[in-house]
Amino acid sequence: MWGLNLPIVLALAAIGGVLAWRRAHTLVWLLYTGGALWAFFRFGFTVPIPQSVATIYLGITGLALVSYASSSRERLAETVQPIQRLILEPRYRLALAGLLVALPGLAAYNAYADLTMPLEAPGFGREIHPPPPTELTVHDETIDMATAENPYLHYKHDDPELYGKHVENGRRVYYENCFWCHGDGMGGDGMFAHGLNPVPSNFNDVGTLPALQSSFVHWRIAKGGPGMPAGGTPWDSAMPAWEKFLTTEEMWDVNLFIYDFNGYEPRALGQH
Amino acid sequence: MTAHANRRTRTAATFATAALILALPAVAQVDLGTEEQRAAGKVVYDKYCGQCHGDTGDGNGYATPRVRPKPRDFTTGKYKFRTTPNGMLPTDDDLRRIIEIGAPYTSMPGWPNLTSAEIQNVIYYIKTFSPDFENPDRYAEPIEIPRPLESTEESVARGRVLYEEQACGACHGEVGRGDGASAPTLVNDKGDPIRAADLTQRWTYRGGPTKEDIYRTFSTGLNGTPMPSYADSLEVEDRQHLVNYVYSLGDGDDPNYGTLITAVYSAEPIDLQDEETLDALFESAPMTRFPLVGQITEPGRNFFPPVTSIEAQAVYNRDEIAFRVRWHDLRADTSGRNNPSLEVPMWDEDNGIGGDAADDAGDSDDFFGDFGGEEAPAEDDFFGDSGDDFFGDGGDDFFGTADAGAGGAEFSDAVALQFPASLAPEETPELKPYFLYGDAQNPVDLWFVNLTYGVADTFRGRGSDSIEPTEADIVEAVTSYDQGAWTVTYKRRRSSRAGVSFAEEQYTPVAFSVWDGFNRERGNKRALSSWFYVYTEPSVEQAVAGPVLRAALIVLAIELLVVFLVRRRARQKAADEEASGATLTATEAPAV
Repeated sequence: MWGLNLPIVLALAAIGGVLAWRRAHTLVWLLYTGGALWAFFRFGFTVPIPQSVATIYLGITGLALVSYASSSRERLAETVQPIQRLILEPRYRLALAGLLVALPGLAAYNAYADLTMPLEAPGFGREIHPPPPTELTVHDETIDMATAENPYLHYKHDDPELYGKHVENGRRVYYENCFWCHGDGMGGDGMFAHGLNPVPSNFNDVGTLPALQSSFVHWRIAKGGPGMPAGGTPWDSAMPAWEKFLTTEEMWDVNLFIYDFNGYEPRALGQH
Repeated sequence: MTAHANRRTRTAATFATAALILALPAVAQVDLGTEEQRAAGKVVYDKYCGQCHGDTGDGNGYATPRVRPKPRDFTTGKYKFRTTPNGMLPTDDDLRRIIEIGAPYTSMPGWPNLTSAEIQNVIYYIKTFSPDFENPDRYAEPIEIPRPLESTEESVARGRVLYEEQACGACHGEVGRGDGASAPTLVNDKGDPIRAADLTQRWTYRGGPTKEDIYRTFSTGLNGTPMPSYADSLEVEDRQHLVNYVYSLGDGDDPNYGTLITAVYSAEPIDLQDEETLDALFESAPMTRFPLVGQITEPGRNFFPPVTSIEAQAVYNRDEIAFRVRWHDLRADTSGRNNPSLEVPMWDEDNGIGGDAADDAGDSDDFFGDFGGEEAPAEDDFFGDSGDDFFGDGGDDFFGTADAGAGGAEFSDAVALQFPASLAPEETPELKPYFLYGDAQNPVDLWFVNLTYGVADTFRGRGSDSIEPTEADIVEAVTSYDQGAWTVTYKRRRSSRAGVSFAEEQYTPVAFSVWDGFNRERGNKRALSSWFYVYTEPSVEQAVAGPVLRAALIVLAIELLVVFLVRRRARQKAADEEASGATLTATEAPAV
């Protein structure tokens, strides 16, 4: 669900619950928060997030934890008190010695793991839905992106038979051109999808089509990868600029079809 | 699911089937479902299946002209993947299996979103397309699939003998790369060209990769294709030995696609002419397999590329860097022409492998029009550049290979490595040229080898419509074709005058293109990859002990410092308290 690795997330939440129930010490909370965030970023997602992104988040949350702990003299004293006791009280001497050995050991292991980690190609973030232009010109026809709608959508209520014809034409266009990447069932898992990076859009996803206006989808279809701003890494996208292959009507028809197939409606004008 | 779990499920299923067979009379049942079930199946079929298999089940859907192998024609009643004897109808479970998991590397996907009932309804509906399903004589009990034999040396050796005796290599090739002498001629009983499986790439087996799957194919054959059943000609045990041999040809269960070539350092000189030392040099370099897909983004679209992956490795020394790529091709096409900018007329997009391409060409006016206008050899940059090669060593290749292959392909096999012409600026490290031959702002360099000539030509690409030959850098290449595998080794100086230089510890984007002349691939009609990277590993091996020790010591030092500071502070505090206590006592003392 939402790309989360649920067992890990639930386990972390459960530990937090136990700590709350046992009224854990501030220091324990701080250690828990730091550790849980690390584990969340490292293991909490089914699709691993880039290490550079995780490092930035952990850096920020680390700073936040430190400033929280030192926000007042009392809290600081409360936080460091167990550490002082560990260092000072003779009965903890064994634990202290253990910690003195264990922490450098961990650091050594971490350094070793970093050095021997199998190399990976560098990864970069990208905008999945980059900001559209305000106007779009396709085949000499200019539309206003904010107000334009699929011209055939209204047939759904006004003329179901005509609507059906446009959908069927869209179906033809889709299975003559699109399913190699976006998949027969539109899960973004077509027979070529495994060879593409970024992966093709998944139209089953509730976060994709229903969240977009049909004009946005039209823009993506007509201009394809090369028509994206730099934030969308246009140089990597295999999405063709379909205006090279299809008529304007065919593009609106396939637009209509992918919504219809998934039982979705485009995001309405002015709806946020 | 792991292969192991898979096998267990299957074993369980076998037991269940066995139990059923014991319980029921031993005659397969004609089960066509109820009218409601068939009607419900039609709804599912019309939504998910008709686009390929046709709304009337004849295998002529919207997608059909552009997919290979072609979608099943349900009106024939012939099914490839069955547990029933050759020529018989499949069981419902056979149909269900393919609907659930699909056929890998074809346009038939698995349909995990369909419920068990929906699948059953679709099966009932599919049966309505062929009268065979009403005929009890066309039904048979599933064959028994025994547990695989242990893959001993003797078993594999026996399998190898059988592989030769049964002439499996005539189609699948001597070492199984799908390159047998008759491979280019194979068609199914509808006359559509089909390919012999590449036995070394198990993950592409249409009927599944397990030993049980292979045994099933041997024992039942693939109806409607040249793949026969060996149920009558080979004993069960021999089929099992053959399974073990075919399995041993496989290059792993999984393609293990990677994203990075690691170029390793060698102090040795790189001599392309010295085959032995060159091979030894590449022994030490890790091999990475990259997925290739059809170029379907720009005109000249290639909807069914036969080459689905390429392996690559790299070595470098002080001055030079060498790349080696390897891929499988059913035939060496080395008599035609090719270059990255050859135009592909629109009609050719839907055009397929070998023979039928010629038919289409004959009845198409476009062909001659386009050919004369856009593909006139006189306009072809390639011939201008490589005139020498053509008449020199190219000439020998021409006649040599024409004898071996079915010959006469209009376009030759080719391969290209693609690099950005310059590395991304530091502030935008994600910036790359457009992966399809670059763009106006960010050009690419192509190291292109037309395998007719076996030499590298360099091109600068600024987009698909702007590919110019360039001679800024000299790239050398040697090529070889051995039993279905092309190997091309490139070499260039690491530093470049006009293109990208390969510095140590640098990540350089790289992409691949492969052209199969047999599939009429040329220009933008090609198999290609997205951008991947080549990493030039440092020439001096990084010591591990140093950094590990340093990390441990730094942490230890910090710890000791903290302990020291805390203790000193505590001591001071104690001393202060003692002192103030003493003062107090002292001041109080006189009062006593």
